[in-house]
Amino acid sequence: MKRGPALLIALVTSLLFAVFFLYPAGMVVKQAFVRPADGAFTFDFIGSVFGNPIYREGLWNAFILGAVSTMATLLIAFPLALIGHRYDFRFKNALGVLVLAPMILPPFVGAVGVKQMLGVDGALNALLMKLGWMAADAPYDWLANGRFTGIVLMNALHLYPILYMNIAAALSNLDPAMEQAAENLGCSPFRRFWKITLPLAMPGVFAGASVVFIWAFTELGVPLVFDFARVAPVQIYDGIKGLDKNPIPYALTAILLVVAALVFAFSKLVMGRSPLGTAPRPKGRMNVEKVGGVKGLLCASVFAAVFIVASIPHLGVLLLSVAETWYGSVIPEHLTMRHYHEALGNGLVVPSIQNSLMYASCATLLALVIGLGVAWVVVRSDLKGRGFLDTMVMMPLAVPGLVMAFGYLALSQEGKAFHFLVGEGGSPFFLLVIAYGIRRLPYIVRSAVAGLQQSNIMLEQAAASLGANPFRTLRRVSIPLIGANLAAGSILAFAFAMLEVSDSLILAQQAQHYPITKAIYTLLSTLGNGTELAAALGVWSMAFLSVAIIGAAVLGGKRGGLFKV
Amino acid sequence: MESIRVETVVKQFGGVRALDGVSVEIAPGELFFLLGASGCGKTTLLRCIAGLEIPTSGSIHFGERDVTKLPPHKREAAMVFQSYALWPHLTVGQNVAFGLEERKVPKAEIRIRVAEALDMVKLSGFGDRSIDQMSGGQQQRVSLARALVVKPKCLLLDEPLSNLDAQLRVEMRREIRRIVKENGLTAIYVTHDQEEALAMADRMAVLSNGKIGQLGTPEEIYRTPRSAYVANFIGETNLIEGEVQEFRSGFATVQTGGGPMVGRVSDPNWHPTAGEKVTLSIRPEAWRLGTAQDNHLTGKIVERTYLGQRIQYWIETAIGRQQVVELNPHVIHEPGETPVIVQSRHDDVVVLKA
Repeated sequence: MKRGPALLIALVTSLLFAVFFLYPAGMVVKQAFVRPADGAFTFDFIGSVFGNPIYREGLWNAFILGAVSTMATLLIAFPLALIGHRYDFRFKNALGVLVLAPMILPPFVGAVGVKQMLGVDGALNALLMKLGWMAADAPYDWLANGRFTGIVLMNALHLYPILYMNIAAALSNLDPAMEQAAENLGCSPFRRFWKITLPLAMPGVFAGASVVFIWAFTELGVPLVFDFARVAPVQIYDGIKGLDKNPIPYALTAILLVVAALVFAFSKLVMGRSPLGTAPRPKGRMNVEKVGGVKGLLCASVFAAVFIVASIPHLGVLLLSVAETWYGSVIPEHLTMRHYHEALGNGLVVPSIQNSLMYASCATLLALVIGLGVAWVVVRSDLKGRGFLDTMVMMPLAVPGLVMAFGYLALSQEGKAFHFLVGEGGSPFFLLVIAYGIRRLPYIVRSAVAGLQQSNIMLEQAAASLGANPFRTLRRVSIPLIGANLAAGSILAFAFAMLEVSDSLILAQQAQHYPITKAIYTLLSTLGNGTELAAALGVWSMAFLSVAIIGAAVLGGKRGGLFKV
Repeated sequence: MESIRVETVVKQFGGVRALDGVSVEIAPGELFFLLGASGCGKTTLLRCIAGLEIPTSGSIHFGERDVTKLPPHKREAAMVFQSYALWPHLTVGQNVAFGLEERKVPKAEIRIRVAEALDMVKLSGFGDRSIDQMSGGQQQRVSLARALVVKPKCLLLDEPLSNLDAQLRVEMRREIRRIVKENGLTAIYVTHDQEEALAMADRMAVLSNGKIGQLGTPEEIYRTPRSAYVANFIGETNLIEGEVQEFRSGFATVQTGGGPMVGRVSDPNWHPTAGEKVTLSIRPEAWRLGTAQDNHLTGKIVERTYLGQRIQYWIETAIGRQQVVELNPHVIHEPGETPVIVQSRHDDVVVLKA
């Protein structure tokens, strides 16, 4: 009985993936190797990418940006996760939510804020000059190195929550008895960290780091805002216009995909070797040390410091949105709400909010339905190949958004397979919903899988023994029990869909269909007060997303307490 | 009320054969126990009957109906889980009402039947409580009410009392038996607690290694075990090896290292011949400290445990230590006392195949 629906879900999901994930990704790769004229297989395009010093530099820069951003992210995230794991201090819960702040701001909008705050004529230099710590005629360029530092800073400040949550989850899944046993055998806290905690947490570190690397490696929005064109994603974006004649963007995209897949495979390999991969939930009591006084203050201040630094972009955007003019001063000299009024009248702003809400909610719904089905097959059925299904739905994490967006764009051209998905007046509705949905699916699947694994299967068997068929059991028992997990996963998926850059920038071509991110990007390059209008729109989306994230955190926090089984 | 027939059921998990050709027939209205050490297959058999596992081969019938491949929700076999499996997102009353709602019983009737069911388990008025406000014993009764309220064809209980403290356990034994009998339910009850089985069962099956070792009433199984495994698992026993000298009308004279002993042959179809190796099973309470008659051994008290109502001795004899239990002891012997003689009636010595 179980096998029928399980097989159906697995087949439908696989089909969807084949059509909307493997096909577009494969298409991009194919275009990189096939001569359009005669359809012959060729390495010429790949060869000419590596033969061209500009593209070589672009790829190298992307790689270095990815690597350095990942290291910087790790430096922020690991201490946070470890302190949170070991100690209980005042305001810990509130601070734990606050350090997730970066997730409410699209990184390229944050980049605008960072430029305002840390640029040569930015707020920090103005402050230092005012204090007399810096000569007025010799301002320091904090974001120097051809904008490289700025991009790394923005990437790190945006991406550390992903790593932080991964490491925190890995640490909280450790059986506390492991650490307690080490302690009991006379291991000092410092040695315990190196010999027990760190090795056991490595799978979480690698899982998070690989996602962060792929993200930073293929980041498009931030380099665009920093006018840093010598990086592969921007080179691809710039190449879109002449796509039918120029196969180089395809070749570049294919190379990004291969590197991303290798990194992901490597991290999987590291995780696969660890015995922790399938560890059951911890049974023992956590040994969280309650700290007060100086030590507690120290713990809290680490979190607070991270939050403050991470808020620099937000603050910049917020101040920019209320500034009459802001140039070379600590805070804007004249504050105004003018930009907000004007934004409401702007033809881009209000439709973009409506569009984004619609795209993101439909995409979340799509991901929720598929994700719940997949999670159920993976955890509750005995279908052969369910492990493969699980791996498959996680693959979107390994494939850069840019690659997918590019594949969709190519396939939605006149006469191509996905052209039917382009709505009236070139509406990208279906394309964006599917693209957002598939790329956010991993978040839903992971949270639903975790929920199902943690809820006792006997609760479902009891329903069956009382006459509830599998669908009724799912509706009346399973879904209510893992509701918090599903809500948390959905809100994350929704937030990331609202913030999505690559698909939005590339697939939305007409102004009336722009999602928020593309509207902001367009406003940024508009003369007059475009930047300020973009900032105002950015503030609105921040407010919106913070409500969503806090909701997720509250629901996620309840999980343990409310539904203890 | 319905009979349950299990026919040569085999359940294979990978390389492990959890059930190895089990056949048993349970009469309508019978309270039947499945008993055995952990890993013997008792829970697997119960789950096969509930439909939570599908047998690799063999068949299961409820009455005349073959239910072997029927999914659990169509079997009308309500189960009480060891962990209770109460849904934390529903109240006590909602938990109990669940099965009735699935059966599309009218709302008014549901209200009445839930109240009746809660009354039956002595939880009237607790309907609006949430599950985590209930104690372990109360939760156990909620799960019982939840299963009973649907008037199942059969009631399946998987170690329902194992999470309760000793006193509550004894109380609940009587309660469950009363409820099962009052409702005329066919019930299958899994436990590893032999005392629970002896106290409650109409009949029971002792499983070992996926096979039924012995099937019978509690009295039959305790007094006439067919194997050393069953004798050891149900109650405690002293096992003595020997060789048959003579067999006559159900009794055999057996030569042991401590002299000849006469015992009752457990299997009426078995006629041991002279020279056959056998094992004797003598319950600790069947040994009496006394004088030398037939069926006796001589030894020395090496250990004593005082348990209030009874006293337990370990006596070292020529053929190993014997456990002896005296109820309401008149004289309390001291360790080291020697020689002491233990003696047993012919009826109380059971002759088993070696």
